Amino acid sequence: MKAKLKVGMISFAHMHAASYLQALLARKDVDLVGIADENRERVRPFLERYGLAYYEDAGKLLAADVDAVVICSENVRHAPLTVQAAQAGKHVLCEKPLGISEAQMREMIEACRANGVQLMTAFPCRYLASVIEAKAAVDRGDIGRIVAVKGTNRGTMPGGWFADRSLSGGGAVLDHTVHVMDLMNWFLNSEPEEVFAYAATLFHREPIDDAGMVHVKFRNGVIAVLDPSWSRPAAFPTWGDVTMELIGTKGTLFVDAFAQKNEIYNNERMKPSWSYWGDSMDDRLIEAFVLALREGRSVPITGEDGFRSARVALAAYASAQQGKPVRLAPWDRTDG
Amino acid sequence: MRVSIIGCGTMGITYAKNLASMEEADLAGVCDIDAARAEEAAKAGGTRAYSDYKAMLEMENPDVVCVCLPTYLHKRTVIELAQLGKHIICEKPIGLTLEEADAMIEACRENGVRLFVGHVVRFFPNYADAAGQIARGETGGPGVAHLKRYGSYPQGNGQWYHDRNKSGGVIMDLMIHDIDFVRSVYGEADAVYAAKAQAGGEDPFEFAMVTIRFRNGAIANLTAYWGYPGPFTTEAEFAGSQGVLRLGSESSRSLIVTSKEKGPEGKAAVQVPQSPMRHDPYYRELKHFLDCIRDGSEPLVTAEDARAALEIALAAERSCQTGQPVAIGGKRA
Repeated sequence: MKAKLKVGMISFAHMHAASYLQALLARKDVDLVGIADENRERVRPFLERYGLAYYEDAGKLLAADVDAVVICSENVRHAPLTVQAAQAGKHVLCEKPLGISEAQMREMIEACRANGVQLMTAFPCRYLASVIEAKAAVDRGDIGRIVAVKGTNRGTMPGGWFADRSLSGGGAVLDHTVHVMDLMNWFLNSEPEEVFAYAATLFHREPIDDAGMVHVKFRNGVIAVLDPSWSRPAAFPTWGDVTMELIGTKGTLFVDAFAQKNEIYNNERMKPSWSYWGDSMDDRLIEAFVLALREGRSVPITGEDGFRSARVALAAYASAQQGKPVRLAPWDRTDG
Repeated sequence: MRVSIIGCGTMGITYAKNLASMEEADLAGVCDIDAARAEEAAKAGGTRAYSDYKAMLEMENPDVVCVCLPTYLHKRTVIELAQLGKHIICEKPIGLTLEEADAMIEACRENGVRLFVGHVVRFFPNYADAAGQIARGETGGPGVAHLKRYGSYPQGNGQWYHDRNKSGGVIMDLMIHDIDFVRSVYGEADAVYAAKAQAGGEDPFEFAMVTIRFRNGAIANLTAYWGYPGPFTTEAEFAGSQGVLRLGSESSRSLIVTSKEKGPEGKAAVQVPQSPMRHDPYYRELKHFLDCIRDGSEPLVTAEDARAALEIALAAERSCQTGQPVAIGGKRA
């Protein structure tokens, strides 16, 4: 087993990078090699606070002595950066959504395979304690056979490049379908077969979808629906939610993953706020990535998992545009 | 006003209790083909029990008749009552088909009697407050809504709920409450997409998820469940451009009683949290309908609203079967 893993970070465009950085820095088995970001201002506070090396060009970081990289760029750059990292022989943890087209994501998966490196998709929701317990309960058969699932990943409009389709590839439906869709894929051990969705701009002025409803039928007959909307107003006490309701033949199971919170009422803020005190899902995600690479095992959430989830969001856009359900070809048939 | 009740299941008994306590009403007989049920309702309402409704109508000569029968009997009964010149308060859903609904509405119009349909959720104070807040603009423009209604599998007399040809199933019978309510908030629907999971046998259940797209752009997802192992639960959320409104039966329990005493079977007695009020929603509903009859005013929920909710429910059922979205009002989705 490798004693230490040398990790570099590429781009802090996605705010999750800051949390992954903290998780990496907290680990004794990780050497943080540096941060590559064409926008030095964006990463300056981290460079200064932790005395980290800076790379303007990701290529320079990839040429350095690095085992793995964490990519938190704008969505459209996930594919070129991942392919570049793979060709440099580096393992990749890529922020979700894995890519903005099926072709792109296949290219990412294939590049990593061809270069003998691992590709992990950052789906930290699999590491929420309530989700882990829920999965165990389902696997034990506590609620019988699952017949239906309803999920929500309602959030706040993130603004910035998220609202610019040329950088994000899509709005709320792409941004917030993938997390809970991955949980559904994981829990059901099946694949989405058909998608019907609405996508609309209802909450904000930015010309990108901020509202949606995504229905999915799985190959094993399970029906599902998911709300990915950026529907939490500024007045809301927290950023959003991750919930999942599983209807089984012998019971039901409800996960409200961020219910572990205290409620705060403060005169200066003049709005209630929730202080989340549950475990950090990002710490556990990073741990899983680092340990798999150190021990030479397969990463627990693969590029294929990222593909399977993101393609549902892409199908949702196609369905919303066509006004009818869209069928998904089985993964093994599309597997390059 | 003299008010009689036909059908003494759960709803008939609820009506009897409420009408008995209402100054505006003079409860004038209850009827059920099952004499024991009729007796129970008569006792609850302090009135006379009948097992033949024709005899009841003759003896009691009511102004208003409440039809609390299984859905498949609504049309036949309502039309007969209309022809006898009785005003009618009919349980939801109005009927099983649009043709039935149209025939009922037409018969009441022709005979100059009023027809009200018991979409009681409009009279639940938490939902009524929500409708008012949203109408006042508290949540801003239309957005995304969720409505949920979970309960046990209903055990009607002779298991009529289990027979799809008699009850219409979970969408038509249970979700229709939320269909009517969300339509009262967002207006006319444009299209419906739906999916359903169900099983029969020893441990039957029916779970439906329905997404309605409204003409004003709003998107609503409704879930309803017959066979839920937990307590009867309702929830709703309306997210709009300026805010979110949420309500839930479990989050508004104002009274929780726990006791160290064992129940009659030696187990700790089941503690059901409550949200007590002076009058239950059925009281508000029945009083409102009787007020409308007295002063000729339009009700909060009309028979046409009930027909529109049924149209959406039927479209959802069709969507479950075809797997395609179904347009409402003849327009392609």
